[in-house]
Amino acid sequence: MKEKMDQTPIDDDTNDLNQADNLPNGGSVVDKEAKKSNSKKSNSVNENQKDTPVEIEKDRIYEKQNNKKSLKYQNAIQRAKNRTYKIFVFLFLTLVSLVVLYPLVYAVSAAFSPGRSISAMSIIPFGSGVTTAHFKRLVSETNYIRWFRNTLIIAASTSVSTVLVCSLAAYVFSRFRFLFKKTMMLALLVLQIFPSFIGMIAIYVILLRIKGLDTLWGMVLIYLAGNIPYNTWLVKSYMDSIPRAYDEAAKIDGASNARTFFKIILPQASPIITFLAIVSFTGPWMEFIFAKLILRSNENQTLALGLFSFVTDKKNEFTLFCAGALIVAVPFIIFFLITQKVLVSSLAGAGVKE
Amino acid sequence: MKTLALDGSSRKRVFVVAILFMGLAHLTMLKQYIKGAIFALIEIVMIILSPLLFKLLRNMVTLGEPKPELPIFERDNSMFMLIDGILILAVLFVFLILYVVSVRSALSTYKDYCVTDTLPQSKHFLSEFGAKAFPIAGLSPLVMLILFFVVVPLIFSASVAFTNYSVPGNIPPNNTVDWVGLDNFKTLFGGNATWTGALGRVAIWTLLWATAATVTCYAGGMFMAVIMHESKIKIAPIFRAIFILPYAVPAVVSMLVWQNLLNGSFGTINRTLIELGLMTQQTTIPWLSNATLAKFTVVLINLWAGFPYFMLLTMGSMTAISKETFEAARIDGASRPQVFRAITLPSVLYQTMPLIIMSFTHNINNFGAIFFLTGGNPVVADSTTTSAKGTDIMVTWIYNLTINLQKYNYAAVLAVCIFVVLAPFAIFNFRRTKSYKEGEL
Repeated sequence: MKEKMDQTPIDDDTNDLNQADNLPNGGSVVDKEAKKSNSKKSNSVNENQKDTPVEIEKDRIYEKQNNKKSLKYQNAIQRAKNRTYKIFVFLFLTLVSLVVLYPLVYAVSAAFSPGRSISAMSIIPFGSGVTTAHFKRLVSETNYIRWFRNTLIIAASTSVSTVLVCSLAAYVFSRFRFLFKKTMMLALLVLQIFPSFIGMIAIYVILLRIKGLDTLWGMVLIYLAGNIPYNTWLVKSYMDSIPRAYDEAAKIDGASNARTFFKIILPQASPIITFLAIVSFTGPWMEFIFAKLILRSNENQTLALGLFSFVTDKKNEFTLFCAGALIVAVPFIIFFLITQKVLVSSLAGAGVKE
Repeated sequence: MKTLALDGSSRKRVFVVAILFMGLAHLTMLKQYIKGAIFALIEIVMIILSPLLFKLLRNMVTLGEPKPELPIFERDNSMFMLIDGILILAVLFVFLILYVVSVRSALSTYKDYCVTDTLPQSKHFLSEFGAKAFPIAGLSPLVMLILFFVVVPLIFSASVAFTNYSVPGNIPPNNTVDWVGLDNFKTLFGGNATWTGALGRVAIWTLLWATAATVTCYAGGMFMAVIMHESKIKIAPIFRAIFILPYAVPAVVSMLVWQNLLNGSFGTINRTLIELGLMTQQTTIPWLSNATLAKFTVVLINLWAGFPYFMLLTMGSMTAISKETFEAARIDGASRPQVFRAITLPSVLYQTMPLIIMSFTHNINNFGAIFFLTGGNPVVADSTTTSAKGTDIMVTWIYNLTINLQKYNYAAVLAVCIFVVLAPFAIFNFRRTKSYKEGEL
């Protein structure tokens, strides 16, 4: 048994050695060290005949050294192998990066290019000069600031209300037992798959009835209602994973339900709450269908509507569109880059929700 | 008043009295006066309102009479009648649930009484109400919003599928709308060759599109994540930052930019290809104006926009696989493809399965990717009649039917179709959830 165990590293080593010889770089170094270790190994095999405790102890030390050595070769070989692999990967990733970046860079260059339509632009980004005229036109000739303000109000209200309503409901679903709980959860799940604009005519009529047409709060209501089904499930699944011991301890200490929720559960659930806040904040920025349907008057338009109006068939102000889009997209991008760690873990969390 | 028996034999009596009038059992037998009064008050309000409720429900059945002699705003508005009727149904539904709650509460109080021999005091009710107030308050905004802004509109949509709400003759407030039974379904499913053809074409393309979009994005995202994870390139974070840019840029913006870049005549991509000498002015590629090519282009551009999401997702799931697993595989001499096939793929797939299905349903409804990139174009043979163009999927077609053609009845039929197709996916995902598996639900 022992013999066998000793044999194995040697076999491995010879294998490694052969591979190392085939490699152009680092082969000689590997060679030398391999020889050393081989001699040591043969020693160890010979010494295996003796069975005194001291010898066994010695064996062990040799073995350890051997293992260390063989790891070293493996690493060296791995490194060499990795180098070619890495170069390929690097080239591939660079190529993909170019494809990913191309339209974005071109759009940025369009925001600074003179002229109005894309047909007048040079095919090389920034090839037709740089100007900030479009940004000035956005402020002076269009309602851009007004659109921005409207969208910001809608997005912030939607985000806050979604977080409140969803997390509260998720807490109730996660911690309480009540009549029709199962039915309600199943209903949420089924409703979640329908885009809310399937019922857009009805929503239009309902808003007409409650005088919510062409108002910002009407939009917030629509977005909030649309956000609820899926996100309640999301937050509920997360809260299920928070140990009940926390809230039970708080209850024993005399905390009310509301207090337990705000002081114990909400902080514990902060990753998913952050995720929810981000997602529901970004959603309304570029929502188009309901904004188009509900917001009729000029002063209530949102960014999506305004930007879209720059590149419809009647107008082709691609450069103006890009300038306007750039102002929105840059904060988005910075935000995503900063929060990408949270994003990755939240997305993974959403993935392991089952 | 007869006293209640302690052995449970009065259960039937409590039940009958509770059903007879909401809160009656609480008031007369169980001495829960506050609770009983609240329940009774609700029923009294409903009874007072019942003539109005009845009238509104009758309106929903008739959808109004045409009264051409009246000025437009005094005529019967069928759509208001329909939506009011559905709202009333929702209110009745809530009332019914409250009724069930009241009966069950009476029965459970009686059950407690049988065990403890004392009836709960009103004080007890207040403290009980305090404990129950939180879940009720926590859920009521959700229930109200869902009911009035999600459920009612969906039922409304489904109802419209059985009416003739469409141009030219049936648009309120000028004219009334009538129930027509299954006529719309008959027209779309075989009655009219043009419409049936368009529906078949759009339905097939919607499924193809959703499958292709999901598969390409998932495979692409996973591929990027795995090679970045495997190669351990030092500047991987920089690449990752670049790759999530399409996810960070709002879809409206990136799709409209692509639309301009890919324009057949003045788009930058074709002009670049001409400059490079790869083609001439005459042989430009009709990226978005050839019906077949446009479909490939849409999937391709969607891959550009959609792979980052799955890349992030796979990265997240891969961190959940323990390092020991990878190490053990390496020590056993597994090659990179083997590790991928035997470890990474199964565990990532298993973890992200619900999200793949969600992504599929999302793509069936992916309005933005189609509408802002192609606008549904190019135009095909039946587009003038049906408003369904070459790359239109179901949801963009619904949009066209609603906004441009004002054929609300056909749009509603399509919405019902989407419901029928998507519901099984929702159920499937539901059955995979932890709460379902653990029998909590």
